[in-house]
Amino acid sequence: MSVMSVPLPRSARALWLEVKRNAVPYVLPLLAAVFYFDTLRTADGFPPVWTLRASVIPNHMLIEFSAFAGGLAAWAGSREGRRKTLDLVATMPRAAWARLGAALAGALCWLLLAFLAGVAVLYVQTALQATWGGPPLWPVLAGAAGVTVVTVIGFTCGVFFPGRFTAPLVAIGVLVPLQVGFREAVNVNVTASSGTTYALLSPISVPPPVETGVYYHVPPDVPIVQVMFMVGIAVALFGVLSLAPGLRQLASAGGRPLRVAAVTLVACGVAASWTAFALAGTARPDAVGGWQIPALHSAASDQPVPVTPDCTSGSAFQVCVHPAFSFYLDDVAAALDPVAAEIAGLPGAPAGAREVASMSGGQSVWSGISGNPPVFDFAAEHVGTTVGMFDGINSTMYIDSGIIPDAAAWREGFQQGLLDSFLIGPSQHSGFVPLDAAQQAVEDALLIAAGSQPQNPISQMGEKAFPETVAAVSAAARRFAALPASARHAWLAAHLAALRAGAITLAQLP
Amino acid sequence: MNVDIRDTRRSFGKNKAVAGVDLQLGTGVFGLLGPNGAGKTSLLRMLATVLPPTSGEIWLLDRDPRRPAARREIRRRLGYLPQNLGYYPSFTVVEFVEYFALLKEMPSSAVPKAVAEAVERVDLGAKAKARLRTLSGGMLRRVGIAQAIVNDPHLLLLDEPTAGLDPEQRVQFRALLRVLGESATVIVSTHLVEDVGAACSEVALMFAGRIVFRGTPEELTARGGGHGVGDTPLERGYSAVLSAARS
Amino acid sequence: MTAVKVLKPPPASAGTTRRVLAGIRLTWLHLRTRRVPAGILALAACGGVLRAALYWHWTFAGLYARQQQIPLIIEAGAAAVIAVTAHSPFGETEQATGRWLPYLRLFAAVGMCGLAIALLQLGAAGESLNEGVLVLARNIIGITGIGLLCSLVTGGLLAWTLPMGYMAFCQYALFQAWTAPWTWPVRRPADRGAWICACAVFAAGLLLFTIVGPRTRLSDDS
Repeated sequence: MSVMSVPLPRSARALWLEVKRNAVPYVLPLLAAVFYFDTLRTADGFPPVWTLRASVIPNHMLIEFSAFAGGLAAWAGSREGRRKTLDLVATMPRAAWARLGAALAGALCWLLLAFLAGVAVLYVQTALQATWGGPPLWPVLAGAAGVTVVTVIGFTCGVFFPGRFTAPLVAIGVLVPLQVGFREAVNVNVTASSGTTYALLSPISVPPPVETGVYYHVPPDVPIVQVMFMVGIAVALFGVLSLAPGLRQLASAGGRPLRVAAVTLVACGVAASWTAFALAGTARPDAVGGWQIPALHSAASDQPVPVTPDCTSGSAFQVCVHPAFSFYLDDVAAALDPVAAEIAGLPGAPAGAREVASMSGGQSVWSGISGNPPVFDFAAEHVGTTVGMFDGINSTMYIDSGIIPDAAAWREGFQQGLLDSFLIGPSQHSGFVPLDAAQQAVEDALLIAAGSQPQNPISQMGEKAFPETVAAVSAAARRFAALPASARHAWLAAHLAALRAGAITLAQLP
Repeated sequence: MNVDIRDTRRSFGKNKAVAGVDLQLGTGVFGLLGPNGAGKTSLLRMLATVLPPTSGEIWLLDRDPRRPAARREIRRRLGYLPQNLGYYPSFTVVEFVEYFALLKEMPSSAVPKAVAEAVERVDLGAKAKARLRTLSGGMLRRVGIAQAIVNDPHLLLLDEPTAGLDPEQRVQFRALLRVLGESATVIVSTHLVEDVGAACSEVALMFAGRIVFRGTPEELTARGGGHGVGDTPLERGYSAVLSAARS
Repeated sequence: MTAVKVLKPPPASAGTTRRVLAGIRLTWLHLRTRRVPAGILALAACGGVLRAALYWHWTFAGLYARQQQIPLIIEAGAAAVIAVTAHSPFGETEQATGRWLPYLRLFAAVGMCGLAIALLQLGAAGESLNEGVLVLARNIIGITGIGLLCSLVTGGLLAWTLPMGYMAFCQYALFQAWTAPWTWPVRRPADRGAWICACAVFAAGLLLFTIVGPRTRLSDDS
């Protein structure tokens, strides 16, 4: 039974023809290859946290799709001009917007289908790896809105400029503003060097902090204005398309009601975009490192997400993490256990470790030991002085500094964070406090005893580090590490208070 | 009266493509002859509601095409085959005709049957599922005719419809024209006088934007007696009228 | 058919001069059929966009990868414009002619490439373009080669698709700091492997395009 014999409405039949004969499917293999190499491999480098993985949808997929969507839509839009059927279709009673709308819908169907297929692959991959949470929908909506507006822009350019250069020029014409928007969004989100927040309208930005959406809900305020902005542009351009024959002076653009409808569409689209633009300007940082827009904000999204921590590591030193990070619980426990054993029983030594949110009440929460019994608090985003614990090579920090994190460095970051807090003293949730030479030597010795190699004492000691001091610290650390564990423990029990007070010198270390 | 044109003119800058034409036509097949640049295509485009006249009145199917609602009604009952027919290479014959049937706002339920009939009438049934890029020039022309007649038009405008058709197909096409002319107004613009002679009940000759002859093919033939240049009587009548118009 | 007054043709020039003038005339007509004048305007627009990007600091500061992002998009766009000029509106009619067509194609492609480099460099004149004209030239040359190769398969009008895909892929390669020579936009200007690769792709594309010409089946008249 063919489609011709099925009684479909006229619009559906026309749409079916457009879908069947569209050029997009020919480009899908190329798009799939770019999707694999860019989006999928980038996402795979992120830890399996839903919001982090979903960030590749606007940040990577939108770029890839825009490279093709604009050009292919321009190709579809220029069909009547290229094929010289303008005269013929001008004699048709069907309104131009209906005819062009079917062609636009045909291209859009394929592009959105491909886009959603990519999202499905990404989300299935994440679902197989994530340990908590579910797929966020707002990044998908923002990405789909981005693909839609790029398609409409390309199609409109193709209708009005059916030349051979329209497709490639549209392709780069949409990519450059997207990249500029990305840059401005970085200025707002990361460097805070922009005085305004309009750049939040850009759907492309840096990946969010690793615990976004984990401890607190992600407010939909910013995605809402992004979608509103983009859809507004698309609607306005569709209204312009309806006036295309009149603007081309081939024939009048239909009756007065049609012209009124077209102008209304343009006005509504412009109003929606302008409203979104104005709302974006009112955005302000929220208490957990994100953004909120007062007119759209709901207080319910400020509440913490109720969750039961995962403490199933089975190690002697109990470690509890948010279930979203259960995938690294055993690794953290394995990292902290030997170090905790070195200091077990000493004053202020933690009985366990727990993961907390890195932002609370608008303030950063740093690692530290607090409570009774003492517990070592750490955040997924930073432990001790090490920031971006989960960022791979895509991290801005690592790219700019040239550091490539590895497993040993990651492990030592946790151990160092615990020892920093222990040696500085309990209840010191105050961020980076540099160690003195003796404290550094003791820390390095304990790291050696736990099986790690101390990485970079200079960064720990801050401005107190000098070459001769570094060498002396290393020597003292090796000396202290060479002692039997019981001797080390006994010495620490006797001198811990003085060590914390900064009253111990390198020479006084055994 | 399906076509009623009164003192219609169309200029393109200083060029007067149509310089005052009066024409009233009912059902039947009407031939439009003339040399290159006579204004035939411009006249046809005005009748197809693609080009507005610079001045004068046009009434088509008892409607004023200047009004959007009326224009839409006219176009629902209009079939038009332009001289240079564009097409979509990846479409099949059936898809192309169906596309234009839908654009002409035919009832959805009637489209499949109408498309099949139109394709059969132009003798392309065997090529119904073939892509347009695989067809010869003559076949493409027949596809163009099919899209023009798919909606059973009351006003059918054909600009050089037999270009690229072989003699046998031209004979079949003339027979089709005669059938169509029984219930519709068919205007055929062509250089091939034998097509006009065989299919048209009335013929007009345009020159420099005006109609310089209107009558039956026999009357045109009679004008050529002893004066005209050509291989057939109709050609001689044609050239005789043109010579008189030029002088 | 009436006799029309024919303009008096100019006096016939000497043999070599006539041939040269005819060659120039043929070349000019060929370039017009490929819409090269409009293509030059499009390339000039690319140069303008590059200038705007550099003047208003649209590019990121800092690492090579970030600075190269937007210039790479514009360079790929210029290469796509060159690739699209491969399209012939005549199809087989033109192929059934004499021996000059391959030379004309070669001239057009190489000329457009040179013009693209010149116009983009003009746009970057006085501004700080990441790694300068060498990287710009190498990118345009290499990606144009990709476009010309693509035209053999898709025809001239869709020959922009593969360059765009390659550019999108290289955006990722920039951030991953790939070292494979076939990702030449990622490599530094003095990188010999990248130059070899870019030039090899360009040479292959140019050779095949010159000899075979773009595919005519999928293309449309324009």
